[in-house]
Amino acid sequence: MSKPEIHHLFHNPIVDHSFSADHNTLAVARDNAVELYGRSGNAFKLLDELKGHDKTVTSVDIAPNSGRIVTCSQGATDRNALVWEPSPTGYKPTLVLLRISRAATFVRWSPSETKFAVGSGDRVIAICYFEEENDWWVSKHLKKPIRSTITSVDWHPNSVLLAAGSTDAHARVFSSFIKGVDQRPEPTAWGERLPFNTVCGEYLNNSAGWVHSVAFSPSGNTLAFAAHDSSITVIYPSAPDQPPAAVVTISTQLLPFKSLIWSNEDEIIAAGYDCEAFRFRGGETGWQLAGTVEAKGPAHVERQEESALQMFKQMDLKGKAKDDTQLKTVHQNTVTVIRPYQVTESGVTQFSSSGVDGRVVVWTL
Amino acid sequence: MSIIQQHTSATLSDAWRTIDIDALTEESSVNFDTSTLRPPQPEITEAEVRQLAGQVRQLLRGGDTEGALRGCLDTPVYNGTDGAKDAHLQTILEVLQSIKASEMSPLLKSIYGSEGGSEALDVLVKYIYKGMGGGANGASKVTPQSTGGFSQFASRPGTTEPAAAAMSVLLSWHEKVVEVAGLGCITRTMTDWRRV
Repeated sequence: MSKPEIHHLFHNPIVDHSFSADHNTLAVARDNAVELYGRSGNAFKLLDELKGHDKTVTSVDIAPNSGRIVTCSQGATDRNALVWEPSPTGYKPTLVLLRISRAATFVRWSPSETKFAVGSGDRVIAICYFEEENDWWVSKHLKKPIRSTITSVDWHPNSVLLAAGSTDAHARVFSSFIKGVDQRPEPTAWGERLPFNTVCGEYLNNSAGWVHSVAFSPSGNTLAFAAHDSSITVIYPSAPDQPPAAVVTISTQLLPFKSLIWSNEDEIIAAGYDCEAFRFRGGETGWQLAGTVEAKGPAHVERQEESALQMFKQMDLKGKAKDDTQLKTVHQNTVTVIRPYQVTESGVTQFSSSGVDGRVVVWTL
Repeated sequence: MSIIQQHTSATLSDAWRTIDIDALTEESSVNFDTSTLRPPQPEITEAEVRQLAGQVRQLLRGGDTEGALRGCLDTPVYNGTDGAKDAHLQTILEVLQSIKASEMSPLLKSIYGSEGGSEALDVLVKYIYKGMGGGANGASKVTPQSTGGFSQFASRPGTTEPAAAAMSVLLSWHEKVVEVAGLGCITRTMTDWRRV
């Protein structure tokens, strides 16, 4: 396993990050702005700052093909999304009215890049698409039966089905079919006829902790969600309007996970309050925690020659002999988001993580 | 006359800031019954709890401590009267107090390794916290009571000998459970809607 690529950008929390398709541009949400970093050699240098929101930016996503960036914020006067169009003179923002009265919490482009979904604290998900005739982004609301803030969304590969996790402890699968924008999707185990706001599934686990993250498997046939009860739940749907074929919950000994992705159909990577990423492996019959992604061998720990004098000096200065303020993990604080970085036919081979410690790290699986 | 002139210093207070607008909005989540969000739990009556307590005591007398502990952890009283809930807490405390300190860790490991063991230990943590929360040792509360004035050194009514002993048992169990089931069991206890 090769070493992780660590970029310590600044000493502020990174709420969300996104790499461009060529991996040369990195967008991170920092306070009220989105900072764009460009790759120069092995490091990332600040290139541009996208200022348009007047409150904390909660989420950022770069569309891999078009290069458009979508951002959303939690502000009181600023509950709208901005689409940043790349142009020779820099990024030009376009306002997208979301018609929500609470903070926007999470935004992701659909794989088709013609739509994006914005989760909000207003118990709605705004599905936004571009209306050619009016030259304007329009939003349509997924409302029922959401009872609380949306914490994360994930798109099915067909760009119609959308999974959403909420603080009402449910992970749901919706249809976000927009006439004229979407192709009629192939029937899947989630549903056959899918008019807008069809609820294809509603799931919660036993302890009903709020959901931090949801993710479809690469094929879109399985859904996983991480909840605040330190668990991961994997759902295998059977057929439309039928109870799922299997629901597997893995309760861990760890702290809760903030984010999870599928590396392939039988492996999930999850990271969160334990400041590092963990692997889960399994299938319909059961899942197991398969260890950490990070290798923490003795090579990482720098052994210092310690004399008795030095030890007493440390005891005198700090009241303890060992400096234990550093975590043994690369991330020194909660990991907020993990995302696929390099995807090949066999699955995700590299993924990136961002944390409250201001680091963005690229991991090789 | 404009509206502004009608304001006096009294009406210009900050009181409006504390108005709970969520309560006034019909659509708001606070006006929503959260119990509909979780699956209903079977109701357990006090008589059933007592019956179980009898069986558990028999197991204890027979020396099967694991069976006794497992027996009460497998039937947590999520839905029942306060009487039933307290009675079950008493049963569990009794079991916990009758297990030797040296037996705790191997017992917990064996439960954790068995089928549904993680869930059972989550239940145990819930009862440990409930016990610490004041239900320990019958009616006597372990929580500090308002004694009025400076009575730190006087013997408080709450800190009777048996209550303190029960608390120390719970603390050592808590330590051992977290060693085995990790911090996950604490987050699950805090998160879980199913209260004991």
